[in-house]
Amino acid sequence: MNKPHIIPLDVIQLVYAYALIPLSLGLARLQHIGHEKQLLWSSMRMLFQLIAVGYLLHLVFAINSPLPVVLMLLAMAGFSLQVAGSRIKKRMPNFYRVVGSSIIIGCGGVTFYFCLLVVGYSPWFDPRYLIPLAGMIFGNAMNGASLAAERLSSEMHERREEIECALSLGATSRQSAAEAIRNAYSAALRPTINTMAATGIVALPGMMTGQILSGTEPIIAVRYQIAILCAITGAVAVTSFLIVQQGYRRFFTEAHQLKQE
Amino acid sequence: MNQQQKSGHDPCVEFIDVGVTKLSPAAMNMVILDRISFTAWQGQITGIIGASGSGKSTLIRLCNRLDDPSAGTIKLNGQNIATIDPLVLRRKVAMVLQKPFMFHGTLLENLQRPFMFRNMTPPSAESQDIARVLDLVQLSREMLQRDARSLSGGEQQRVNLARALVNRPEVLLLDEPTSALDRPSTARLASTLSNICQSEHLAIIVVTHDLYLAEHIVNHLIYLEEGRIKEQGAGAQMLAMPQTNAFSNFLAQPEREQKLSS
Repeated sequence: MNKPHIIPLDVIQLVYAYALIPLSLGLARLQHIGHEKQLLWSSMRMLFQLIAVGYLLHLVFAINSPLPVVLMLLAMAGFSLQVAGSRIKKRMPNFYRVVGSSIIIGCGGVTFYFCLLVVGYSPWFDPRYLIPLAGMIFGNAMNGASLAAERLSSEMHERREEIECALSLGATSRQSAAEAIRNAYSAALRPTINTMAATGIVALPGMMTGQILSGTEPIIAVRYQIAILCAITGAVAVTSFLIVQQGYRRFFTEAHQLKQE
Repeated sequence: MNQQQKSGHDPCVEFIDVGVTKLSPAAMNMVILDRISFTAWQGQITGIIGASGSGKSTLIRLCNRLDDPSAGTIKLNGQNIATIDPLVLRRKVAMVLQKPFMFHGTLLENLQRPFMFRNMTPPSAESQDIARVLDLVQLSREMLQRDARSLSGGEQQRVNLARALVNRPEVLLLDEPTSALDRPSTARLASTLSNICQSEHLAIIVVTHDLYLAEHIVNHLIYLEEGRIKEQGAGAQMLAMPQTNAFSNFLAQPEREQKLSS
């Protein structure tokens, strides 16, 4: 198959694309939804963030050394944690320690497993593979992490009577919080399960579309998409599991007492 | 030698200079309980009475280590409870919380829960363990397969009580057990508690607002105000002849005066 012609978007073409934002803004104002400022601010953020990351990636690709790649992965983990924290109104005790360590172990572990064993490129830090794959894994696991942490906090709050009743009957912390742990884990996994079921029917995933647009054969793009969806599922499962397993303990003392809120 | 020892009852739960302080939202130390000392005896019902916020519920939660005191010692049969594994302690010191909470499932499954928490094979509907607690709280065997959450408030309170008793505890703690019950249900529960105390030779500690319970079944009554014991003595006698102004004023509040005379 001949290498297809790729259309590089120039500034004028981007301006045409950006024209859809004022259109959205006008429609939002017409409907009086009151989100016009937010829409404008988000679109500006998107613009500057992507331009910045584009130049950053260009620089990291040019250096082609492990240190900037690892630093970028750590920055991704940090931003994931910050975004997950900002979404949650009522945070669990030691939120940043619990969620931070879970993201690093869960996402980091799955990313390296996927990159080294599944894709198997060399060298291991090749930024062309590691950064975009890690970005997708971290980004999706962040949603799972937010859901797991938020649901665990709300379940522990709402089930206080049930938990104390179980503790009074001689249950351990884990036994008394079992239902809360189960519901939080289920809430964290559900969107990923739904996404897998809908992929290819409801929508074509972004990565696959991007690969096809950049000239990759659809069959190869599909293989990558299947592999990355499995990696995302694994990362969400491991990260959320670590969050609920570490997280519930923070609500109890060593003596199986529910801490005061 | 005091009255209880003369009548052959052994001390079961002893509070010795127990205090609880908590940090307020403004980071100030708040005294919740201050130098609380009393003894609850086996085969007797000890009542803790006082206005809302007097520290009654905090006090009862210390007995099975749902909370720990900041100062002082609590003993169970002479042993400091801080040295007992909380899981073991909570099987010996059972607690019935204020709102009867029913786990998802049937009445039988609710009664089996404490065994499952101990990783033991739960007793069947025909077992002695289940029959014993059903008899104690006067629930019929036919109800065992009913959804626990569909039972009435009074029935749920009985299930709550039965569930606490399946562990064969030495002490039974009850936090406001009659707060959601009407007068006939309260009278029935009072009679049940009195029978259980005698037949099982338990020490029962009951936190209550309800003067009916205090008057009819409580052997030893303790009046708490702002975290301190203001008066304690024999239940009916204390209600008939309060010795302190604090307790007299508490009883003189219109809603209590009416209840006591009814």
